[in-house]
Amino acid sequence: MPEQPAHRAAVVEYQHVSKRYAAARPKGGAPAAPGAVNDLSLTVPAGKICVLVGPSGCGKTTSLKMVNRLIEPTGGRILIDGADVAGRDATELRREIGYVIQQVGLFPHQTIGANVAVVPRLLRWPVARQRERAEELLALVGLEPAIYRDRYPAQLSGGERQRVGVARALAADPPLMLMDEPFGAVDPIVRERLQNELLRLQAELAKTILFVTHDIDEAIKMGDLVAVMQAGGHLEQFGPPAQVLAAPASEFVAEFVGADRGLKRLSLSRVGDVALQPVVTARVGDPAGDARARTFADPFPYLLLLDPSDRPIGWVSQRHVPASGVLEASLATPMSPLLDRRTTLKDALSMMLDADVQTGIVVDRAGRLRGVLSVEAIAAALRPGADPDGIAAGTSGTGG
Amino acid sequence: MIDWGWLAAHLDAIAYRTGQHLYLAAIAVGVGFAISFVLALVAARQRAFYPPISALAGILYTIPSLALFAALISITGFSVVTAEVPLVMYTLVILVRNIVAGLDGVPADVLEAADGMGHTRRQRLWRVELPLAVPLIVAGLRLATVSTIGLVTITGTISDAFGGLGYFILDGYNRGGFPTEMYAGALPSILLALGADFLFVRAQRRITPWAQARALEATSS
Repeated sequence: MPEQPAHRAAVVEYQHVSKRYAAARPKGGAPAAPGAVNDLSLTVPAGKICVLVGPSGCGKTTSLKMVNRLIEPTGGRILIDGADVAGRDATELRREIGYVIQQVGLFPHQTIGANVAVVPRLLRWPVARQRERAEELLALVGLEPAIYRDRYPAQLSGGERQRVGVARALAADPPLMLMDEPFGAVDPIVRERLQNELLRLQAELAKTILFVTHDIDEAIKMGDLVAVMQAGGHLEQFGPPAQVLAAPASEFVAEFVGADRGLKRLSLSRVGDVALQPVVTARVGDPAGDARARTFADPFPYLLLLDPSDRPIGWVSQRHVPASGVLEASLATPMSPLLDRRTTLKDALSMMLDADVQTGIVVDRAGRLRGVLSVEAIAAALRPGADPDGIAAGTSGTGG
Repeated sequence: MIDWGWLAAHLDAIAYRTGQHLYLAAIAVGVGFAISFVLALVAARQRAFYPPISALAGILYTIPSLALFAALISITGFSVVTAEVPLVMYTLVILVRNIVAGLDGVPADVLEAADGMGHTRRQRLWRVELPLAVPLIVAGLRLATVSTIGLVTITGTISDAFGGLGYFILDGYNRGGFPTEMYAGALPSILLALGADFLFVRAQRRITPWAQARALEATSS
């Protein structure tokens, strides 16, 4: 692969941005027209994914399209790296901003390779470099260039087309990407995969991404920051997803994120974010009497049996630990699936509830025991007052 | 029934009239397309112009050709212009509507993507909208060409200098019905129309491979 250009990311600033539409309805106290935006101010730091989320007509797409000037604001300013977009030539500005839309909008008359190279072509890159870049990007989004390069959009599945859409947006290595419900038109399984792939790419590329969705779960999953908007174009809350879930700023936000927001928070945190507890352990072949004594001295009524490399074998109820002899692997009862630091608390809790012993066993990469996780520990991590930013830290990586 | 002797004696004339027929039709479609293209671009860009443009083309189409020849002869005489004006006029209604329909048929998401990626208006038109309108534009050209090839015949009513293969039809008719000569005009004219249509279909396949990809996909899924 040719050398990657140095990745840049932009800071995007909305300063009191408004968009009013001439009243579509006859005079009278009609509510604000759909898509209007009212005094929006927020700053997206470089390299972060900011999700604009809200019900339809809340102005989230309008807010997005004002950045690349597909829509012009009626008030306020939008700055990219400190420069007002209104002062830029619109077509030039757009070539520096990646743009992905729900219906993808691939050019049906051009091959996939040509579609990916659209912006490089507009920028008059040498033809060889356009080609090279298109192939590089197809590979990056997981489409084998030799297979896909010469096909036409009509010959691709919805998910494949959306990947081409992402590759096309990345072609000129823009410091900023605008994504308008990019995964809204694909089925849930494909959507989940595309979301994970985008997060994987983002971990590598660290672009600034503005992402619009109406799906709060997608917002929580994708966003480093979430901006919840309400009809009329009001920004209701802006912060990390954990904060939005743990402390909704208004009735509207609380309702929008849903009554199950506690459960949603579980999917934001990973096992590695929670303090693990020790547990009484013994290795196969250890003297049973000593292990029995230690187990009875501990309030937790189980012994965790390990193999000689400290890899968990299973639980032994304290009543079943022999008083003499040595510990054998056959004593252990089946255990819940093992957890690792990257398992989300939601998955962890689900596995624990299914198991006989409702305690999660956490192992490292080599499968060695790191500690155990109790339902109480998970509950404690979510308790009001627990620092939401602390829980959110380090959760923006790839999905489990 | 067929007077083979007449045919053999008139091969040169048939060849000449075939060439003339093609020439008159080609000018009509070529000029008609150029005018229609400009009118369609105006209509596509300024929507308000479309209804009057379309209506005007429709009205022109209703003017009887014989009346038009008579009127034109007093202005442009027995020239090729007199022959071409009605032929060109009759192509407009087909071509304008098809070009506009082709431009209208470009999906909104494609246009949005084109704008969002930074195409200028002109780049969007030439790189995205017109290529995608090609199938409908070619459909219009096929129709206009076939109908024009049929219409060239009537230019023979201006004078014997025109008419293409229609000359034989009119001449055979005027002789009180000479079937061989009338066939010598009608059959090559039909073959020309079929041949031109076939060539357009081939040319379109060539320049729009993507449309074939789409059609294949549609039948296989």
